[in-house]
Amino acid sequence: MTILKVENLSIAFGGLKAVDDLSFSVNQDEIYGLIGPNGAGKTTVFNCITQFYKPNQGKILFNDTDLVLKATHNIIKLGLVRTFQNVELTRDLTLLENLLVGAHISYKYGLFANSFKLPKAKKEEKEIAARGEGILDFLGLLDKKNELTGGQPYGILKKVELGRTLMSNPKMIILDEPAAGLNDTETIELATLIRSIRTQYNCSILLVEHDMRLVMDVCDRICAISFGKKLAEGTPKEIQQSTAVQEAYLGISDDTEVD
Amino acid sequence: METFFQLLFGGLQTGSVTALAALGIAIIYRTSRTTNFAQGTIGMFNAFIATFGLIHMNMTPWMAAIFGMLASFLTGVAVDLLIIRQAKKSSPIAKQIITFGIIMIFLGAAPMLFGVVPLSFPSFLPTGHASIMGAAISHNALLNIFIGVVAAGLLFLFLQYTRWGLAVRVTASNETTAKLMGVPTSHVTMGAWAVAAALGTLSALMLAPAISVNVSMMDTVQINALIAGVIGGFQTFYGPVLAAYIIGVSRNLLLFYVSSTWGEPLLFMFILLFIVLRPNGLIGKKIVKKV
Amino acid sequence: MQNILKHNYTKYIVFGIIISLMPTLAGIGLIRSASVIVLGAVIFYGVVAIGLNILLGFSGLISLGTAGFMGLGAYMSAYLTEILGLPFLLSLAISVVVPVIIGSLVGLVSLRVSGMYLAIATLAVSEVFRLMFSEFTDITGGFSGMRASFPSFFGISLSRDTTFIFLVVILVLLMILTDNFVNSSVGRALLTMRVSETAASAMGINLLKYKLMAFALATAYAAIGGVMYVHFIQFSFPTVWTVMLSLQILAAVVIGGIKTIFGPIIGAFVVFGVPELFLNRLPIIGDIPGLAFMFTGVLIIVVILFYPNGLIYLGHDIKRLWLKNRKSQKGGETA
Repeated sequence: MTILKVENLSIAFGGLKAVDDLSFSVNQDEIYGLIGPNGAGKTTVFNCITQFYKPNQGKILFNDTDLVLKATHNIIKLGLVRTFQNVELTRDLTLLENLLVGAHISYKYGLFANSFKLPKAKKEEKEIAARGEGILDFLGLLDKKNELTGGQPYGILKKVELGRTLMSNPKMIILDEPAAGLNDTETIELATLIRSIRTQYNCSILLVEHDMRLVMDVCDRICAISFGKKLAEGTPKEIQQSTAVQEAYLGISDDTEVD
Repeated sequence: METFFQLLFGGLQTGSVTALAALGIAIIYRTSRTTNFAQGTIGMFNAFIATFGLIHMNMTPWMAAIFGMLASFLTGVAVDLLIIRQAKKSSPIAKQIITFGIIMIFLGAAPMLFGVVPLSFPSFLPTGHASIMGAAISHNALLNIFIGVVAAGLLFLFLQYTRWGLAVRVTASNETTAKLMGVPTSHVTMGAWAVAAALGTLSALMLAPAISVNVSMMDTVQINALIAGVIGGFQTFYGPVLAAYIIGVSRNLLLFYVSSTWGEPLLFMFILLFIVLRPNGLIGKKIVKKV
Repeated sequence: MQNILKHNYTKYIVFGIIISLMPTLAGIGLIRSASVIVLGAVIFYGVVAIGLNILLGFSGLISLGTAGFMGLGAYMSAYLTEILGLPFLLSLAISVVVPVIIGSLVGLVSLRVSGMYLAIATLAVSEVFRLMFSEFTDITGGFSGMRASFPSFFGISLSRDTTFIFLVVILVLLMILTDNFVNSSVGRALLTMRVSETAASAMGINLLKYKLMAFALATAYAAIGGVMYVHFIQFSFPTVWTVMLSLQILAAVVIGGIKTIFGPIIGAFVVFGVPELFLNRLPIIGDIPGLAFMFTGVLIIVVILFYPNGLIYLGHDIKRLWLKNRKSQKGGETA
């Protein structure tokens, strides 16, 4: 069953086409990878899906809802949530508090109830915090829950950001270069984590990645793009054998990232 | 019709005063990435210095004005060296707050050095009127309009056709790239603060004959110059200048034809409405933020 | 003890009780009674600063209309109680609600565009208020000012000393409420938005709604501060509500320490208390005009550049430095 369907997506910045008539679809419970050389338009595709950019053309259907009509902050309510290339967490908050931000849409009580600490608001906070602790436990970070986020090692920040997405009970998580800045051990750990998120939290995962080992390792299917256009789509094996993909990589950078 | 022209030229004169201040704000905005709320206060402070030259050093108004502008150059350089440069790494909000600190320092320094009594500064051309379409416009008003237009024009030519102007524009569009290309961006920023201070001082001295030299003389100019920046858009240098003249004239017309009490609030209401309808200003372009 | 201080409102209440003693101290001659008025000012400006901190510290937005909204609250409450004879508490409510509505409209217009526009729009609105305070002589008394009396409610009329205690009660109450919501989902949403608008909207935080909320709250605290002002000082003049005052309140937030509850109070004491209580009393330099502004201006820049967390951490840092010193000395002895 298809969960996300991108149809004929195009967006241009000042005449330059960043994404050009791109179509692909992701199935339920699938781990799907989007790859391409630097500047291929991968992150732009992400930003279009999550409505940070409004595409010039095309449809983005998530469970049959057209996302283009939605405000950026309403996307998460549909069960679609993302991470960022350069980890965007709040340093002044503890790990647990950063996770609670991910549950923002679950909070029913606002300013008034919280100012007066009404019992219902206290109860709500407790319940959501318990959920947060569960996720921190899953990530192996429970003992650090009350530590400030600022100053934590990068590997932990990446995990916390993943944890934050899980707080919204997502149907699909979009990961923007999750392995960037991680060392080899951490990358292997990340691959395991991504797989266990799928099984434990029943969600599909769409990821943009530079690290080919990670992509080939975890993805069920991959879409390779270059200059905003689709080059090939298929299983990791098919992509590795695709001549179009090899040319695009070899033609653009000297260091081949495809083994 | 006479009244209309009287109001029109009066408006253009205030427009010139605002335009010079707005131009200073725009230059700093483009090179230092901060909205300089201290533009007016720095102008006020140096207007005091010019008046000091006039009173205690027997200068003519013209000499005093040049003296004040030279002083303002130094003020601008000092502000950049001592404060702005130290704040390079600070967040935009922090930089903004620093300009508030600069306001307070000059507001404190002015009465400390020059006393609390308002001083008077004469018009450059004390006598003479020209008759335009039946309206009597003083020579000084025409001179002020002329100074505003010429100063703005010279600055455009400088930015457009000189090597230094190019350096400013490159710094304005992307400081990191400019630095990599060998543009001395720190000199550019320092120059921007110096020129902006001089423009603010000129603006203050043009206003001085009408309202005397005092600590709050530039308050209204500062507000109108900022609004001119918003309406004209900070992306271009001519936008704020154009907007300054539009504000000056429409304010005068509203004050006379609609209400002398409600004219000003009404103008602000129109401006808010304008912001709703054209959030990117008169000539603004929409900038897509990179995520 | 540490835990009690950390986890509930004891520290606010203890703080409140200590400053409530000031009028009594003045009564027995330990401090001068003029100092009580200065401390009262520190309290109402402190309330306004706590509100501005929600906007500046927690959401990273700047308003220059603080004094304007404070003045609006002051004039409205003076007019409603003195001229219309409304009861104090009702007038307090109206004098807060009206500025909040006006503020929200201004915020709605400017925040849709960009955060920076809020500073400029509020500066303009503040100017309009200032004009109105001096021009609408029928309502505001123009330059001769507007009188108000000490608050009275539930049949009790307060004196100067009891009004001071009433101000302390409001301050402590607002500190507790602010502490509560700042440490809830609302506060976290504001902080997240301040750090990264993109991350915030990806997490479902409606940026406009939260910016507007922060601005409306800052306006509400300013209006409450204005009402406190007029019923303690008993007078309101148009010359008080200038942009300079807005800047001083902003300075109080920055100097004291953003993102904290006690910071703005410490800042208000430094900006509004120290010049009156100490600086202006100094021989020779105390008489120099402009000294207070210079002091605040230099301090705000120094704090931003070298001590961005604010003076609230001064005690903490000195203690740490001292402990470190002692440790290294001890280490020296044993070695």
